[in-house]
Amino acid sequence: MKKIGKAVAALTRAMDEIAGYFLVAAVFLIVANIVAGVVFNSYILGTYEYVGFLTAAVIGLSLGYCALQGGHIAVDFLVEKFPPRARLVLELITGLATLTFFAFSSWHIVLYGLDTFRTGEIAPTTTLPLYPFIFLVALGLLVLGVVILLRVGKLLRKAVER
Amino acid sequence: MSEAAVGILGILLFFALLFLRMPIAYAMALVGFLGFSWLVSATAAFRVVSMDIFSTFTNHSFSLIPMFVWMGFLAYHAGMGTRLYHFAYKLLGHLPGGLAIATQGTCALFGAICGSNTATAATIGSISLPEMNKYNYDPSLSTASVAAGGALGALIPPSVIFIVYGVAAGQSIEVLFLAGIIPGILVMSLYMITIYLLTLRRPSLGPAGPRSGWGERLQSLSGGVWEVLLIFALSVGGLFIGWFTPTEAGAVGATGVLLLTMATGKLKLNGLKQSLKDTTRTTAMIMLLVAGSIIFSRFMAVSKLPFELASWAASLELPPFAIMALILLIYLVLGFFIDALALILLTIPIFFPVAVDTLGYDPIWFGVIIVLVVAMGVITPPVGMNVYIIKGVSKDVPLEKIFSGIWPFLLALIVCLALLLSFPEITTFLPELYR
Repeated sequence: MKKIGKAVAALTRAMDEIAGYFLVAAVFLIVANIVAGVVFNSYILGTYEYVGFLTAAVIGLSLGYCALQGGHIAVDFLVEKFPPRARLVLELITGLATLTFFAFSSWHIVLYGLDTFRTGEIAPTTTLPLYPFIFLVALGLLVLGVVILLRVGKLLRKAVER
Repeated sequence: MSEAAVGILGILLFFALLFLRMPIAYAMALVGFLGFSWLVSATAAFRVVSMDIFSTFTNHSFSLIPMFVWMGFLAYHAGMGTRLYHFAYKLLGHLPGGLAIATQGTCALFGAICGSNTATAATIGSISLPEMNKYNYDPSLSTASVAAGGALGALIPPSVIFIVYGVAAGQSIEVLFLAGIIPGILVMSLYMITIYLLTLRRPSLGPAGPRSGWGERLQSLSGGVWEVLLIFALSVGGLFIGWFTPTEAGAVGATGVLLLTMATGKLKLNGLKQSLKDTTRTTAMIMLLVAGSIIFSRFMAVSKLPFELASWAASLELPPFAIMALILLIYLVLGFFIDALALILLTIPIFFPVAVDTLGYDPIWFGVIIVLVVAMGVITPPVGMNVYIIKGVSKDVPLEKIFSGIWPFLLALIVCLALLLSFPEITTFLPELYR
């Protein structure tokens, strides 16, 4: 279990680092487009589509690491007042509910990506196919689901130990 | 069961999950999905979830969020906050409560390059609290003043919360940014007056520091203020005069801070790496909230609850002002429990049609009012986010002590709210000039 936890942490960290590079690329692309407009009076075709895809990659790749660090905002104060056993059971239920939701959502995004692959859907200006970016977002949600699964696993182990 | 009743049931389930510590973004997405499945079908709900998540993440209107967030974190890791505080400290430190007053000025200046309430409080808190401790400031005043000062980061442009409101309510980002300037300066002034009056009554709360000469003051001006003004003029100024779109303004601002701080040796490679990590984490948090709220708003739309609420509000024999007061009261109460950004995302689909379409209030004015009201929520118990952040910076100060110092600042925010409600021109003056 510990080994899996370490592997997931390393994977999410690596994905997060790549997300950082995509962010830098998006920022520089916009600035390059402005400079091209001012200096050469011509613009980089499809800048906004590229930036949209890069932003989707930034978000998809960083969802898991954010969850691993407890970055998604939650309200703590009420649950902390519950007895430990009740808290454990309630957290287990909500953990399983979110895990199921994100697992199904990730799968349905894959199906959506497959749909766009079959129909050959492309972005209007850059003519880039949509499916690689859709799969990237699905991967992000899948990794988020794995992080939640790890948390549920920890809670289950705690429950068994009690 | 009627569609509106399912809507109400969904809202109750959302709150139940929220209080069971389910992250707000997950709870909004899950309840939105369940409600949509109930009222339409599970297949349609999955289709909506897949398409909404992807289209939200690629939505060009949201691309500017990571850019403005990165701009703030770059400034933080390059130590720009420290130099701003140094300037404000030299200028105002000799007054009773001067360091806390200087803190408000620093929050406002830092807010001009950072779009986040919490990041402003964390940055300025880590700089100003050790100084205030050194001069024996009462911890209730020092900690509460920084927690409250964070609100200036949200009101003074650029502001992530205005961006999110603008996209959610279909309003112009640059007009919202403009509308926030005067209320931001007003809040800063009211905070400064509050601190001055408090320390005038009880000097032990904030003993005066040493007076600096004008030479020193002018010298401190070159430390960081010009950099902030330059970046603000280029990025936000460029946006106002129409050189840039909001996304371009964000990219230009981030690149400007990056180049300026690297060229002057203030930003090291480690700081750059850390700024990217902080930005991706914050972006993931915000964008999952946004995606969750969009799924939730789909459910609200099919439940027809917002329309029912709007027609109910129209049928009430109450003046619009009373209904607005009721809406603000709901925001204030919800703000005690829910994070500012999440609260805006959650409630805009419900209250925006009532306030703007039915009661006829100006949507820009409404946005500023809402941002001000949710700013109260980040400093009030039990989940005042800024207070917890400051507690993280000042670990030895009990939470109760920080909350005990908050009330005068809350009163200042209420005074500001009353002024904005009574004189809407304070908010609408600059946007009308711009239009």
